[in-house]
Amino acid sequence: MRSRIGEVSTSYRWAVASRVVAAVFGGYVLAALASVCIAWLLPMARGEAVVSAMMLSFLVYLVAVLWCFASHSASRAWVGLAIPGLVLAALAGLLHWQHLP
Amino acid sequence: MLSAGLLSYAGFSALCLAMDRHHQEMLGRRPSPSRKVQLRVAGWALLGLSLWISVISAGWAMGLVRWTAVLMSSAVFLVWLLPYRPRWALVLAAVGVLLGLLAAVARW
Amino acid sequence: MREGFRQAMAWLHTWAGLVFGWLLFAIFLTGTLSYFKDEISHWAQPEIPVRVVDAQASLAQAQTYLEANAGNSPRWFISLPDAREPALSVMWQDPNKRGRGAFTRHTLDPQTGQRVEARDSRGGDFFYRFHYELQMGYPWGRWLSSLAALVMLVTLVTGIITHKKIFKEFFTFRPGKGSRSWLDGHNAIGVLVLPFHLMITYSSLVIFMTMLMPASINSRYDGDTQAFFSEIYPGNQRLAAAGQPAPLVNLAVLYDRALQQWPDGRIGRVSVQLPGDANAQVQFSRHNGDTVSRDPGAAITFAGTTGAVLELPRDSAAPMVVAGTFYGLHMGLFAGPVLRWLYFFCGLGSTLLIGTGLVMWLGKRQLKHARSGVRPFELRLVDVLNVAGMAGLVLAIAGFMWANRLLPATYPERAGLEVDSFFLVWLLSIVHAAVRSGSKAWVEQLSLAAIALAGLPLLSLLTTDHGLPVSIAAGDWVLAGVDFSALGCGLVLAWVVVKIRRRAALAALPAMRAARPVMPNEVH
Repeated sequence: MRSRIGEVSTSYRWAVASRVVAAVFGGYVLAALASVCIAWLLPMARGEAVVSAMMLSFLVYLVAVLWCFASHSASRAWVGLAIPGLVLAALAGLLHWQHLP
Repeated sequence: MLSAGLLSYAGFSALCLAMDRHHQEMLGRRPSPSRKVQLRVAGWALLGLSLWISVISAGWAMGLVRWTAVLMSSAVFLVWLLPYRPRWALVLAAVGVLLGLLAAVARW
Repeated sequence: MREGFRQAMAWLHTWAGLVFGWLLFAIFLTGTLSYFKDEISHWAQPEIPVRVVDAQASLAQAQTYLEANAGNSPRWFISLPDAREPALSVMWQDPNKRGRGAFTRHTLDPQTGQRVEARDSRGGDFFYRFHYELQMGYPWGRWLSSLAALVMLVTLVTGIITHKKIFKEFFTFRPGKGSRSWLDGHNAIGVLVLPFHLMITYSSLVIFMTMLMPASINSRYDGDTQAFFSEIYPGNQRLAAAGQPAPLVNLAVLYDRALQQWPDGRIGRVSVQLPGDANAQVQFSRHNGDTVSRDPGAAITFAGTTGAVLELPRDSAAPMVVAGTFYGLHMGLFAGPVLRWLYFFCGLGSTLLIGTGLVMWLGKRQLKHARSGVRPFELRLVDVLNVAGMAGLVLAIAGFMWANRLLPATYPERAGLEVDSFFLVWLLSIVHAAVRSGSKAWVEQLSLAAIALAGLPLLSLLTTDHGLPVSIAAGDWVLAGVDFSALGCGLVLAWVVVKIRRRAALAALPAMRAARPVMPNEVH
């Protein structure tokens, strides 16, 4: 990886920026969705489930960030977040509205 | 905590000696394969002993906290001492085992 | 980025570490000082008398004071004195306000029950709050420091992934070999103190998790976050006033009954809801330093008028114990003197981990430009930020302590001015670093910091009645300890300066430049 700052291309910079945005914001959304699913799926009282879910969510965030920079391209990073994101969103929605009276 | 510290220091020294490079530094020759096994067993045993002492003296919660703290400190001390005074590091390990066991009996 | 996984992680480690390095250095250094925040506060207000702690008697004093000064307040909080923080602290809510700004806090002398007459200073509390609020408004500081914590977690994990020989080089440290030694040192601190680095970083996220990650609370509680907090924290429910005045029971009497719940323990805090009303409730909470895990369920609630038990302490479920353990481990309130110093040195370790990383980042890249003699702007910028972010910060801390001793004790605005001095010195250090180059800036700032810190005991002697001879004679080892520790830090910094100058002098000898063998005077 190119360490001369003045010599990298613009497209490279955009790619890095894209990965950063994916990691920071996309990672957060993924972690939040995961926490909602975990909180509904854990077989414990809701207070306990929520506390467990919040603690575990940071691990999800970590993995998401690592993925965003390990993936072969910036677009791959976004896709790699979007697919589990959509699945978790669907699951979270299902779990949440299933429990409404 | 003192006994746990001395024993974990000795344990780390044994594990360190079990490595070719460090054995060479401290004793001037490479360890034989059987010696390596002996050192590793001794090392892990000493670390386990320091854990056991920590837990029986302070319970699981405080015991684990103290053991972790003692583990980190003794490792740092060994790694810092090793390049400057390898002989002292070795002597301290030997003395440490004896003193550590004594201190454990005296409940320090 | 088509290289490998490890290389991508190395790239991430390098750049995340750089961008957040200076902020993380500041957070970790002030956080490390916070393990001695009570001691620093005591040093900063030497006029507060050191008393033998009698928590029960001081509770009676607090009740008298609050009934006289906050009789119509809906909520009181009383923090009882303990060995490390001998002051009695009372806090009450203004009946006409809600939220964060509604509380007034007074520090009382536990023996006389009167407000303490001491120089106004934030003391160690300034460093404590700074390390998670960063002197920014609520809640921005917390969000920024939490983002920094997440980045720290990322750099730790990417560091582990990148360190190929983590087991082989577990005991490896080769001093006196230039950049190799720096890397060895960085790796050694990183690996050997790893349990602490990981614990402190992850726990900081857990501490703020209800603010950072509320989605699951909102989902399972249908937006009623208050219901969640009521389940976790007993006695958190808002009570409705009966409107009937009724005298509050004697709290000191309830103290004994509360302590029966925890025979080997201490009471940390007493809170009263609706004092003077028929529906009043009093809650006694166990001292947070009694157990490793911070347990919000360790509290007993009494009716305020009759003293009848309303709610007994409840055992917390496993997830709460885990979260409480993270919180407790981070704060280290349970630590005795030896363990507290170990916490301090581990914290310094994390700080040095970051510092060595920043120095290496620059060193590696400066090497490439050494021959041309011209430094690109980016490297110059990193150089300035390194000096100001590290040496400058230490100097700013010294500046804060000097301001405490130099500002007149009776000056009303002095607490704010002490904080201003901290930031002013930090700002000046940036300017100085920008004007002076490289190792000269380091040497000058660290030398000044060394003199300032080593000179602190002398300054205390000259400006207060509590210099070393007095504090040692009185057996006030906390006050003497802070003076001695400052002296010790000053001496360590002086040694660092000597080493930097020696290395700079050697580097300036052109004949030695090419392939430097290890010099005899470099092997200590």
